[in-house]
Amino acid sequence: MSLTAGLTDARPDTVETATVAVIGTGAIGRDLVSKIDRSPGLDCRLVAGRNPESAGLRYAESLGCATTAAGIDAVLAASPFDVVFDATSAASHRDHWPLLEPLGTLVIDLTPSKVGQMVAPTVTGVAAEDARNVNLISCGGQASVPVVHALAARFPVTYLEVVSTVASDVAGRATRLNLDEYVTATGHAVTTFSGVSDVKIILNISPAVPPATFRTVIHARVPDADAAAVRAVVDRAAEQVRSFAPGYEVVACTAADDLVTIVLKVTACSDVLPPYAGNLDIINAAAVLVAEQYAARPGRVSRTGVSS
Amino acid sequence: MKQVVIHDPTLRDGQHAVHHRLGLTELRRYAEAADAARVPVVEVGHGNGLGASSLQVGLAAATDDAMLSTVREALRHSRLGTFMLPGWGTSDDLRRAISHGVDVFRVGVHATEASLAEHHLGFLRDAGAEAHCVLMMSHMASPGELAEQAARAVGYGAQAVGIMDSAGHFLPPDVTARIGAIVEAVGTVPVIFHGHNNLGMAVANSVAAAEAGARIIDGCARGFGAGAGNTQLEVLVPVLERSGFATGIDLYALLDAADLAERELMPAPPVPASMSIVSGLAGVFSGFKHRVVELAGAAGVDPREVFFELGRRQAIAGQEDLIVDVVAELSGRGPKTDAA
Repeated sequence: MSLTAGLTDARPDTVETATVAVIGTGAIGRDLVSKIDRSPGLDCRLVAGRNPESAGLRYAESLGCATTAAGIDAVLAASPFDVVFDATSAASHRDHWPLLEPLGTLVIDLTPSKVGQMVAPTVTGVAAEDARNVNLISCGGQASVPVVHALAARFPVTYLEVVSTVASDVAGRATRLNLDEYVTATGHAVTTFSGVSDVKIILNISPAVPPATFRTVIHARVPDADAAAVRAVVDRAAEQVRSFAPGYEVVACTAADDLVTIVLKVTACSDVLPPYAGNLDIINAAAVLVAEQYAARPGRVSRTGVSS
Repeated sequence: MKQVVIHDPTLRDGQHAVHHRLGLTELRRYAEAADAARVPVVEVGHGNGLGASSLQVGLAAATDDAMLSTVREALRHSRLGTFMLPGWGTSDDLRRAISHGVDVFRVGVHATEASLAEHHLGFLRDAGAEAHCVLMMSHMASPGELAEQAARAVGYGAQAVGIMDSAGHFLPPDVTARIGAIVEAVGTVPVIFHGHNNLGMAVANSVAAAEAGARIIDGCARGFGAGAGNTQLEVLVPVLERSGFATGIDLYALLDAADLAERELMPAPPVPASMSIVSGLAGVFSGFKHRVVELAGAAGVDPREVFFELGRRQAIAGQEDLIVDVVAELSGRGPKTDAA
C-alpha cells in the first residue's frame, strides 16, 4: 500500500473548495485557521470562539474570515458546512458532537475525546468513506502511532512507552485540563495500531526557557532487536510522516538488550506557531490533510455555509 | 506551643535513591516503625508517584496497589499519603488510591505550573479526599510568583499548599521570604515545606519555614532521597521541638524507625557529595548528575563547570539534551547559538 503517494497526490490544484468552520481560538485553532487559509481546497467561512477579545478571533479576522464569539451556537446557526474542526476540549467536543451529527457535516476533532474514528494519516489513511467524526487522537499520538505501528508490524514488541514533552506556553487551558484524556486516548491509539496491550503514556509540560521543541520518546521492549533493522523501519515511517508534517525527524534510535529507544522531534512549519510548537503543528497538519482529501473526494455534495 | 504536622515521604521520595526498588517487606517494616513513632502522615509510592513506574524513570519493584495496601495495613495511627504528577498518573490512579484508603494526596507541579493540577485537585475535592498541591523546583520562581501559584492551587481545591526545594538550593532567608509570601497569599490554608540537603541546610531551612508560618514540614528517615537526600526526619523533629513547635512524635520510637530505615531501606545514608553540592549551588535538577559526569568525562570538561552553565541556562528536568550542548560548548567544539 503506497500511502505516501496517496497522501501527496491528494492536494488538488483546482476543484470545488470545501466550506469550513473552526470552533476554538486557542493556539491550535489559530494555527488551523492559518493552515486552512493556505490550503487551496478549503474555504474558511466561520471561526467561532467564546471570548470576543481573543487574539485568535482577531487573527482570523485579519485573514478575512468571518468570526463570532457565540461558539457552537453560531456554527449551528450558520450550518451546513462541509467540514467543522473542533479545537476546543474533550468535554466540549462530547457536547458538540450530538449537535453536529444530524447536520451530515464531516467533523474533525482535535481533542482527545475518543468519540470519533481515530486517524493517523500514514497508518489509517485519512478516513473511511462513511466516517462523519474523525478524531486526531493527540499530539503524542500523531507523533508515536506511525512508529509504533511500523515497529510492531516488523518485530515482536511486548511493551511500549511513549513519553512526550510539550513547551508550557503552547499548552493551553484545555490541554492542561485534558491530561487524563490525553493519556487515555494516546494509550488507546498506541494499543489499537500496534496490537501491544501493555503500554504506558506520559506527558511532560515543560516551562524551560528557551522552550523545548516538541519531543516524543518511544521505549519499546523488543526481544533480540537488531539496531540497523529497527533504524530502517523507523526511518521509513518518519519519511512517510514528513509527507504532511515536514518538521518530523528521528533524533536518535538505539537498540540494546531488548530495549529500543527512539527519540522523535517535531519542529513546527507554520505561519503563526513558534518552531518549538511541533505538537500543534503535527496534529493540525494531519487534520487539514483529512479535510483536503475529503474536499477532493469525487462525488462529494458541497454544502454552503454562511457567506463571508 | 505551636503545632506542625510532620509529613514523611521516606517510602516515596527515598525510592529515587534505590531506583524505585523498595520491596513490600521493607515498606511494611518502615511503615510500622513510623506508625509506632506517631508520625502523622506516611507517604508511599514510586518516586514519581502514582502510575509513574516506567522505563523512562525506573520500574517499581511493586505495583501501586500492592504498595498502598501493604502500608495501609501497617498503619494504625498514622495517616496514609501518596503522590502524583499530572501527566504521569491519572484520575483513575487517584480513584484506585482512594479505594485503598489513602488519606492525603500530594499533587506535584513545576513551580510556575499550578494550572496543571487544576483537574486533579478538583477531582480529589469532589471525591472528598484531602489534597495538597506542592510547587517543585521552587527556587526557579520568585516569592511573588510562588504566592500567586499557591493561591491558584487553593482556588482549584488544594487544602494545603507549599514548596519543594527540589534542587536543595535555598538558604534560610530564601525560605523565609517564600513561605512568608505564600502564607500571606493563602491565609488560613496550611503551608508545606519540603527540603533537600545539597548544601547541608535542609533542617535549618525547615525551621525557617516553620518560623515563617509553614504548618506541614516534610522529612525522610536518615534523609533517604536522591543525591544529597532530603531533610533528615529524626534531626528535624527534635530541632523543631526545641524551636517551639510541637510535632506529637515519640522521639525514641522515631530514632528506632530511622535506625531501621538505615539498616533495611538503603545501602548507605545519603550525604552531600561533591556533585550534589555543585548541583545545589547551581540550582540544577540533581537527576542530571550521571549524564553530566558521563558526557563531561568523555569530552574532558570539568563537570562542575557544566552544572554551573546549566544553572545559568535554567535547565529543568527533561532537558537532558541541553547537557550535550553545554559540554560541546565548554570543550570548544563550536558554541551553539541558541543559548538563553
